[in-house]
Amino acid sequence: MEIKNKRGNILTQNIIFIILNLVFLSILVVFLFTKMAGAAVLEEKYAKQIALILDSAEEGMAINLTMEDAIRVANKENQDLNKIIIVQDNIVTVKLREKGGYSYSFFNDLVDDVDFTIYPDTTSIPIKRFIIYVGK
Amino acid sequence: MILKNKKGDKIISVYWFFVLFIVTAAIVYMVLSFYGEPFDVREVEADILTNKVARCLSHAGYLESNVLTGNFRENFLEECGFNFKTENVYGWGAMGQYYVEINFSDFLTKKQNSPAIKKGNEELKIFCGQKGKTMPVCIKRSFYVLDKNQGKKQYQIDILSIVRKTEKNVQ
Repeated sequence: MEIKNKRGNILTQNIIFIILNLVFLSILVVFLFTKMAGAAVLEEKYAKQIALILDSAEEGMAINLTMEDAIRVANKENQDLNKIIIVQDNIVTVKLREKGGYSYSFFNDLVDDVDFTIYPDTTSIPIKRFIIYVGK
Repeated sequence: MILKNKKGDKIISVYWFFVLFIVTAAIVYMVLSFYGEPFDVREVEADILTNKVARCLSHAGYLESNVLTGNFRENFLEECGFNFKTENVYGWGAMGQYYVEINFSDFLTKKQNSPAIKKGNEELKIFCGQKGKTMPVCIKRSFYVLDKNQGKKQYQIDILSIVRKTEKNVQ
């Protein structure tokens, strides 16, 4: 009887120990993924990336930019995809949530009525990319 | 004997959780310090700026015809399609975050041929050469061109590009 109890105790302890470990590790993994795919991080990453693309862009270029992770976050936050990237004067703003957004300036000032147009690529559903078009 | 073993097991469990806690704390610290830091893109930005300047001044190894004129020097930003205005945060509106300096010298004698083109915030220049990640990023490049207008005269062009934007790129 005693032996059975002892064995039972060991088993229960081990199971609790394993479960606690798993819970601990899961929390860690969730934390990592939330940090990696956080809206603030993505806003900064894409605002700077787009600003650098615009800096080096030249007339006639059409650049495809894959933004799957950012689009996923914007959809979750019920943001209109046509409004998540805004280029005003020489400042690009990426806004994936209602209260947020990140702006970064670029120095490329196109001449002769050439302008930057950025819009979601609707040729693939669900939308994964944005197109940056440099033209009149 | 059995009691001793049990105590040993318990001690190992506590020790295991302690190790797990230390590992977690280290990972959390590393992740926070990595993702908490802004992405520093100033070097790439200064590189692109330098390339754009070089492309504006020359084509296929030859100096563009109007580059050495006073009009080009004065309207350099408009001529080359640059806008050095930045977002009005951290007091950036009042002080420029970019600086470009272009020197033209004779390739053979190294003597400066025409006045340098200087645009942007010239004060940033004093930080070049100083160490520290909060310092503006300076990139200096030189290249060689021929001037068709002056019987293929050889020029060396030195471009110094500086990008500050410290607050948004370094913490």
